[in-house]
Amino acid sequence: MTDDPLSPWAGAAVIAAAVRAGRVSAVDVSTAALDRVQALNPGINAYTDVTAARTLQEARAIDAARAAGLPLGPLAGVPFAAKNLFDIAGLPTRAGSRINRDRPPARADATLVTRMNRAGAVLLGALGMGEYAYDFTGENAHDGACRNPHDPARMSGGSSSGSGAATAAGIAPVSLGSDTNGSLRVPASLCGVFSLKPTYGRLSRGGTFPFVDSLDHLGPMARSAQDLALAYDALQGADPADHACTDRPAAPTAAMPPDIRGLRIGVLDGWFQDNAGPEALAAVAAVAAALSPETQILPARFDAAEAVRAAAYLITNSESAAFHLERLRHRAAEFDPDTRDRFLAGALLPAAWVSRAQRVRHWGLHQALALFRSVDILIAAATPCPAPPGGSKLLRLAGRDLPLRPNLGLLAQPFSAIGLPVTTVPVFASGSLPIGVQIIAAPWREDQSLRVARFLEAAGVAVAHAPRPMTPAIPAPAQMAATLP
Amino acid sequence: MTGVQQDAYIDAVSGMVGLTIAETWRPGVRRFLGIAAGMASVLEAVPLADDDLALAPVYRLPGVTHDR
Repeated sequence: MTDDPLSPWAGAAVIAAAVRAGRVSAVDVSTAALDRVQALNPGINAYTDVTAARTLQEARAIDAARAAGLPLGPLAGVPFAAKNLFDIAGLPTRAGSRINRDRPPARADATLVTRMNRAGAVLLGALGMGEYAYDFTGENAHDGACRNPHDPARMSGGSSSGSGAATAAGIAPVSLGSDTNGSLRVPASLCGVFSLKPTYGRLSRGGTFPFVDSLDHLGPMARSAQDLALAYDALQGADPADHACTDRPAAPTAAMPPDIRGLRIGVLDGWFQDNAGPEALAAVAAVAAALSPETQILPARFDAAEAVRAAAYLITNSESAAFHLERLRHRAAEFDPDTRDRFLAGALLPAAWVSRAQRVRHWGLHQALALFRSVDILIAAATPCPAPPGGSKLLRLAGRDLPLRPNLGLLAQPFSAIGLPVTTVPVFASGSLPIGVQIIAAPWREDQSLRVARFLEAAGVAVAHAPRPMTPAIPAPAQMAATLP
Repeated sequence: MTGVQQDAYIDAVSGMVGLTIAETWRPGVRRFLGIAAGMASVLEAVPLADDDLALAPVYRLPGVTHDR
């Protein structure tokens, strides 16, 4: 992190403090951000729309408010961008698809975009994603692949691919994404940034294009745990536009000290270790070692994980296919081939499988709640491996070659399936690609998860590094099985 | 399920829900149905009690205070 608010690596807290103090104008911050997007985005392919006129209009309003002596919000002048399933007034909400480009432009912003603006943040534009969010790779037949800023030959991860890549590349200090089965955590892991997937129901999904209503979550990405907490605080609050959104009072986190003394940390073994490669296991070990002087470290098993993940797979497949049924009937040829066949299969599943999946999900939640009687936090890798090469179709897991697309997020799926809050923190081993570690808390305890993330960042174990050219000598991740033509 | 049985299932159910499965899409649909069947078999091994029911389409965690 840097104290220069015009640096690509300036955090939200630094920018907002400088704007509030008058050391820099919001217009200067926004202009620098737009220039960087123009220069760097062609190499990364993170943005699908840049809202430059709106950006400058919002920035001028911040500067005018300051000149008038009005109070400025906690994110005053901070540039941000949103996955293109968020409604942005004036743009069709494409959700990564070609079909949705025929929709009329959104007439209003999504609730969370409005809340970012209300806190003083300035919208830069919309970010690319896997089609209809059914993706862990960042590859999209309509928009092209979103590339990993740490190595453009590798995947960014998805489906919040543009969010992870833009924040990692220094062209969006804060970004918004969605997570149904791991779509915030997978790109955060592969791109080396922080993400927060809050408790199911915590943040409003009003004004966003759904994937799987039973499982959809929204949340922020940032380059520091402090910025993540600032954004999360700005996003909280009840909203009648989302039937699942809680009306619990907001629980601010940004001012909390990173005090973790006394927390009981469970390191997940069993299925989570069996499906993690050496880089993932090393990252979890590094996090546990950093936490051990201040906390109690315990081995933990969540034996329901594999079944809960299977339940998430079936609920996702069936519910999303039902949601898209009319589009599948009449416009299937316009889908991305990598999502179309899976959606079609989902429309054919026996109802008994899906009903059982809902029951198993409920059963799995109670297994997890029992586990949280003996620990406060669970940790596990976010992905089995660092970023695979672009175009990879297979993933080697536990000695088997499996299709990559449905499996890259398997370590993330059990927690979104049962709605637990998870902060993903980036771990960079020396000279290697990043990989994320999930900090999982009990329902509604985002505060504990964020405290652990802030502690790990302060300890130097979980820090977002600026991308630098990667040497070809860096080997492919050990988990990677093959790149098919 | 054999390949022939799987194709018969695809033909029957896609007709019921009004979907057309082009021949070039069929191998992918078969493959993903196979993955789904594997997931379903994992679920079969879970020892659910008869009173362990959660079929509502809106999922709530404990602590949600409203009831819209």
